[in-house]
Amino acid sequence: MLVPGKIQHIICTGNLCIKEVQDYLKTLCPDLHITRGEYDEETRYPETKTLTIGQFKLGLCHGHQVIPWGDLDSLAMLQRQLDVDILVTGHTHQFTAYKHEGGVVINPGSATGAYSSITYDVNPSFVLMDIDGLRVVVYVYELIDGEVKVDKIDFKKTTATTHSAH
Amino acid sequence: MGKDRIPDWLNSSLWSTTPCADDRLHRDSSSSANTSSSAVPDLNAQPPAPVLPPAAASSPQSTVTSPKSEFRDGVDKNSNDTSNDNDQNASSSGVSPDDISRQAQLLTELSKKVVNLRELRRIASQGIPDGAGIRSTVWKLLLGYLPPDRVQWSSELAKKRSEYKQFKQELLMNPTEITRKLEKSSVHENDHSKSESSGLLSRSQVTHGEHPLSLGESSIWNQFFQDSEIIEQIDRDVRRTHPDMHFFSGDSQLAKSNRDALKDILIVFAKLNPGIRYVQGMNEILAPLFYVFRNDPDEEMAAAAEADSFFCFVELLSGFRDHFCKQLDNSNVGIRATITRLSQFLKEHDEELWRHLEITTKVNPQFYAFRWITLLLTQEFNFADSLHIWDTLLSDPEGPLETLLRVCCAMLILVRRRLLAGDFTSNLKLLQNYPPSNISHLLYVANKLRSQAAS
Repeated sequence: MLVPGKIQHIICTGNLCIKEVQDYLKTLCPDLHITRGEYDEETRYPETKTLTIGQFKLGLCHGHQVIPWGDLDSLAMLQRQLDVDILVTGHTHQFTAYKHEGGVVINPGSATGAYSSITYDVNPSFVLMDIDGLRVVVYVYELIDGEVKVDKIDFKKTTATTHSAH
Repeated sequence: MGKDRIPDWLNSSLWSTTPCADDRLHRDSSSSANTSSSAVPDLNAQPPAPVLPPAAASSPQSTVTSPKSEFRDGVDKNSNDTSNDNDQNASSSGVSPDDISRQAQLLTELSKKVVNLRELRRIASQGIPDGAGIRSTVWKLLLGYLPPDRVQWSSELAKKRSEYKQFKQELLMNPTEITRKLEKSSVHENDHSKSESSGLLSRSQVTHGEHPLSLGESSIWNQFFQDSEIIEQIDRDVRRTHPDMHFFSGDSQLAKSNRDALKDILIVFAKLNPGIRYVQGMNEILAPLFYVFRNDPDEEMAAAAEADSFFCFVELLSGFRDHFCKQLDNSNVGIRATITRLSQFLKEHDEELWRHLEITTKVNPQFYAFRWITLLLTQEFNFADSLHIWDTLLSDPEGPLETLLRVCCAMLILVRRRLLAGDFTSNLKLLQNYPPSNISHLLYVANKLRSQAAS
């Protein structure tokens, strides 16, 4: 299902661990953004990253730096710090999507289903975002019991961003 | 049995390949003089005064370097604008009565309540003058886009144009918009942006398994990605269309909008015709149509050029579809069969040339005729000349394909002396870069071939 040519940007929260995984992701799409997770061998990934796609500002961070892990309020603080509309974090290996006044926090979960520091019970999942103007449709792909299940979430932004370089 | 001798009419010195300037000049000056002086009954409400369409930014043939370019540029300029500042033709004198009468005849015919198509064809096959938007209307009539009855014109046009608009809306939407539309119709959109300010975002079901990575045959996303290849191809070809013409190439706003129009037409065509899709070369067939319609001095017509070109393009292509279908290449309707017919035609009319060309020098007609036939001679002559050839192609009652074959045969016959003297390389080179010729000449010869009974 993941073939080259369909995806324009890849945002990865980290813990790819080895370079081969980065190369694989590069074949899917040349525009790759990665932040550093605690097990990454590649030391040159940044801790956090922001980018602007369309009308949305996206922030990226692995999440092990935010304590308590996976806590919404702390993540919201990080989001305000980075001043982004959508914050993408990981580390918990659980898919979640929260909305609060500052914006949206998405945790795409673990793409491989690897055991996390917290739990063994992990379903592989990833997320596709279709950004169109002020609207984002988030498609959630999960592998549950050997089958790919797809859900979607709609999210609209109320005000337009002034375009800024990232 | 074929003719062993060259027929006498063919042997006359008239059939030299050097174009004679006079005929051309007279034609242009006459039509320009006509539009300026007499109060010609115009089918458009606007007076025939110079209404320069913005497309007439420059003459299209800036690359022609032969000494004959002087008058040729004059021709192109004339076809661009309906004004009479034919300074390049200042040297011309005298006005051919034929041309005036032809223009007058056409205009009379066009202003009738019910256009007599046979009569129109007869006059148009001699050539359509370049001014006053006549060509645009005549082509539309010849291609069956406009019905002969003038009363029906406005309703027909409105209908067709709205049809095209609908096609565009349906087919040029990207999947995001489509999913949004589907959602709106099926699920009641709850506005949760105002209600819950924080908390878990609600997940909803994906309708019809439609997601961007879907591999389903009927998935709009899958089709979108498959189509994007074709769209890229169309984009590339459109950019390469007539790079020497300001109308099509360059970064001006006008050129960009023209290219976008071409692109949209071709994409809609490709989507509506999954059997044939888009094949390289279709852009070349579309370009003259769009050019002529877009340069119609009537503003309303020019504004709707895209929709009109679409339907005329479909109509024109319908006779030649089989040439573009790869599977039909070797069948008896495909391009190879047509090329064989051309070959036969040549054999019937000029066996000596045929024998020399195909047997002695082994120039396989596919090497040159393929482009001649599939692209309807748009690549062999300069733009203005190809418009004149198309006048004949479209107006001939025998149909464009038959006429095309005759014209191709005439092209070969006109250079017979050089061909007979040449070998494989020089002949191929000559035919693949056909020398500029007198088009009226060429069409006259082609016409003669018709009346010659093939034995």
